[in-house]
Amino acid sequence: MLRTALLTLLALAVAIGGGAASVWYALGSEESIGATAVGTWLTYPDLGTVNADPYSRAKVAREGALVLGRAEGLRFVAQRDAAGEPLVRQCRYTVEGTIPPARIWTLHAAERGGAPVPPARALNAQIVTYLPGGSLAATVGARAAPGNWLATSGSGPMALVLTLYDSPVAVSTGVSDIQLPRIAKVGCDG
Amino acid sequence: MARPAWKGVAYALAVGLVGAGIVHIVILLMIPSFSARDAWTRLSAASGLYEVARIDTGTGGAADPSAAAAACRFDLADGVVHVSAPSKVPFWSISVYDRDGTNLYSLNDRAAPDRLLDLVVLTPDQMIELRKDLPEEFAQSVLVELPLGEGIVVLRALAPDASWRPAVDAFLAEAACIPR
Repeated sequence: MLRTALLTLLALAVAIGGGAASVWYALGSEESIGATAVGTWLTYPDLGTVNADPYSRAKVAREGALVLGRAEGLRFVAQRDAAGEPLVRQCRYTVEGTIPPARIWTLHAAERGGAPVPPARALNAQIVTYLPGGSLAATVGARAAPGNWLATSGSGPMALVLTLYDSPVAVSTGVSDIQLPRIAKVGCDG
Repeated sequence: MARPAWKGVAYALAVGLVGAGIVHIVILLMIPSFSARDAWTRLSAASGLYEVARIDTGTGGAADPSAAAAACRFDLADGVVHVSAPSKVPFWSISVYDRDGTNLYSLNDRAAPDRLLDLVVLTPDQMIELRKDLPEEFAQSVLVELPLGEGIVVLRALAPDASWRPAVDAFLAEAACIPR
């Protein structure tokens, strides 16, 4: 009798604990269901839309997110550099390549929770200088750099967020064929 | 005649794993209805219905430092909602969300007549009523027909550099969200 009770308890513990933990894990992981990868950049084309899967819906509800609409733009998030290493604030990176067509784009660094990394600056289409041929070369890091410099500070993990506002990529052409800039590590401080 | 203990444990674990799968699905489907952190709940804590409140920090995932945003909650049961702003900025966009934060409609300044924000959100029934006798004030408005009760509109504007900040702040401060 006691054994039956203990086994029932075990089954319940596995069911409730395992069920809750797996949901928590699925929603917490960055590369979750519904993500589309472009190089090391991830985007969630269906997040927050009527076509969203249950994981995306739960994610939106849990984070209280109000995701950009198709006519507004599309957001790409990179957690890793081209070598697959996580992006950290104490390192310097170069972001090089062409940016897909958009009326205006912005590039900023974000902390894990989504808040901008101090000093909360962003590069955008109107303030950067482009290389001949129209591609972008920017430096990300705490130390001032010539050219296009995106300032960061402190230490710990960060993500680079590229937002394309009013872009055909969001509306019609889709994300499958686009190219995004490459993020390469230059060096680290400390 | 008792079964060996390991068989009982293995059976309990197997039942537990099947149960875990069911619990996983149930929790996943319940989160949108029961989340205390969703956008609607957070906005309710900060501002009333039809109040245009800035949401630059806190709501909406990754916050773009060069963007500014304001949100307004509405309930179409009170009547149609009219969202407008008098001034112009380099880029603005607007989205209409349902209560769960699902984006149902979005528009940017290029697609708006004269690049001015003048939008009316209404239900199909209200649209039929409105079409019978279109009020003068809605003559230039973009009419957005959505099968909605409660919802959220979010207005976003971009300041490409610091000199645009005051214009963007004014744009969001002057934005109105009014039930008619």
